[in-house]
Amino acid sequence: MTALRIGFLLGLRQIQRANFWTTALIIFVMMLTFLNLIAVSGILVGLIEGSERAVQRNSLGDLVLSELAEEDRILETTSVINTLNTFPEITNYAVRYKGNGQIEANYKERRDLAGERDIVAGIVTGINTVREDEMTNLSSLLIEGEYLNPDEEGYILIGAYFIKRYAEQFGDVFEALDDVYVGDSVRLTSGNVTKEFIVKGIVQSKVDEINLNTYIPEREFRRFFGRIDRNANQIVMRLDESVTSDEMKVLLTKTGVSDYAKIQTFQESLPKFLIDIKNTFNLLGTLIGSIGLVVASITIFIIIFINALSRRKQIGILKGIGIDRNVIQIAYVLQAAFYAIAGSALGALLTYGFLVGYFDRNPINFPFSDGILVAEPIGTLYRFITLFVITLFAGFVPAWIIVKQNTLNSILGRK
Amino acid sequence: MPIIQAKNIHRRFGEGALAAHVLKGIDVEVEQGEFIAIMGKSGAGKSTLMYQLSVLDEPSDGSVEIDGTNVVELSERERTTFRLNTLGYVFQNYALVPDLSAEENVMIPLLMRGYAWEKARKVAQGSIDGVGLEGKYKNLPAELSGGEQQRVSIARAIAGKPKILFADEPTANLDTVSGTQVIDLIAKVNREDNQTVVMVTHEREYAVGCDRIIYMEDGLVTKIEVLKKKKRRL
Repeated sequence: MTALRIGFLLGLRQIQRANFWTTALIIFVMMLTFLNLIAVSGILVGLIEGSERAVQRNSLGDLVLSELAEEDRILETTSVINTLNTFPEITNYAVRYKGNGQIEANYKERRDLAGERDIVAGIVTGINTVREDEMTNLSSLLIEGEYLNPDEEGYILIGAYFIKRYAEQFGDVFEALDDVYVGDSVRLTSGNVTKEFIVKGIVQSKVDEINLNTYIPEREFRRFFGRIDRNANQIVMRLDESVTSDEMKVLLTKTGVSDYAKIQTFQESLPKFLIDIKNTFNLLGTLIGSIGLVVASITIFIIIFINALSRRKQIGILKGIGIDRNVIQIAYVLQAAFYAIAGSALGALLTYGFLVGYFDRNPINFPFSDGILVAEPIGTLYRFITLFVITLFAGFVPAWIIVKQNTLNSILGRK
Repeated sequence: MPIIQAKNIHRRFGEGALAAHVLKGIDVEVEQGEFIAIMGKSGAGKSTLMYQLSVLDEPSDGSVEIDGTNVVELSERERTTFRLNTLGYVFQNYALVPDLSAEENVMIPLLMRGYAWEKARKVAQGSIDGVGLEGKYKNLPAELSGGEQQRVSIARAIAGKPKILFADEPTANLDTVSGTQVIDLIAKVNREDNQTVVMVTHEREYAVGCDRIIYMEDGLVTKIEVLKKKKRRL
């Protein structure tokens, strides 16, 4: 305790009397190191997180009901919807009907009936246009044309990746229709049923499920696909802040909804590979950030080493008058700790006070995601602890090297 | 019993043909309360002898007993503790910690000895007052003259009332006036507190107040001059 107290005094005074700009520069380096640790993994994870948020915002919401494993649609959908209506915590929901179909374009201009048709296979989703828009803001994703009007029929929204001019950036990954513009007619076929629709709009999103989808009003869908039982394929819902997805899942299970549909929270509905990618990116970011950590520890080592070396004589005299070597080591470790804490504190302030908010407002525009900066407080804490411990070690080693030298040699400046 | 009893001290540096035999078998005894000066030309071995007696260095051969403790047998850590509790030092270049105020410089060894903060502060201020630097507690070393810094160094050395005070050419970097003040202070400590003092100097005028002067040449004691017959002699 005595050693700690005196070491603290010595270290504190060294920091106080040090050159301001030198100290500021060291703290700046530590801040950059901290940001490097946080930002590299944070941006990488933010790519996936941004994608997840887009899926949650524009597609799946907070809680998802889907068909039970042995069923092809949600049973007793009307009853399930009535149950959902009894929960004030559910602020919005959208019911979706899904079917497979083929969309053909340019069939009117085709002269050679034996030639290749301009046709793609895709999912057709029947939606309540008003509820869907309230739930997922689908109309905001239009890049051409207009949103579906609830009172009209014969119109369709097409995902951008079904249109060649939007899909060609991905090469041949997606099958796409050649020249389809708003107002053009396309032919939707499912089994023996075919109907002509006018393209009312083209939707594009960072969510591929939307880009590879087509939307028609639910009433028309049921008629087209012969779904007279009104049983849907998916119900997505948004919750207010009074309840978590897990809690709501339990509540719905208790009311028996789980007998008719599979209930999944948003997180549960995510494919495992996405979670694996996220973890991998996190690890990758940490590894890349670790390079900065090595640089910072070397910086601290050099700073403390030069500092201790330039005070070698003084250290020798302190030992000479009976000051324990631990006291001197503590003084230098304290300096290193100060640099680490000050740099990390500034880095954290910058991260949470500015960067996270900035990237939320101005996400990085990646083709598949709006990249944000993810900085979970617990992860930040772990990284800070890592930086702190390594910095302490980097401060201790040079002090130990200098302090362990022969006292008299230090005093006399002998090697 | 002498407070310092050194027998047949040898100190060699290096090995083989390049080896330097700096102390060639020296016996020294110092009684409690004695003021001893070690004099000699540069390279005579006077500082090396003082380092052996003050537990800053270890002799190659021989024994050094201080206040009944054979210091040659102590570990490095024990030697540090021994120096803290038993010895005081005044170095020729003042040897103050530049980041600490005068008061803090004096407080450090006291705190190390387990003094409470306030008590250490009080003792430190008393010691600084004692060397004539009242009101300069908060001054940094850089804000003091050379003579004042050396006086702070003396205040630090005597604040914990060590059994022996070692001074290694304490006037080397001072002008005559400051040098005289420093020597007077050391003599006063010896006279009023019955403090044992061992001082290395190469200026005889500063050694005239001592009880004995040990003259050295080429690693050997060549002459002992007794100035006052108040203590047992070498």
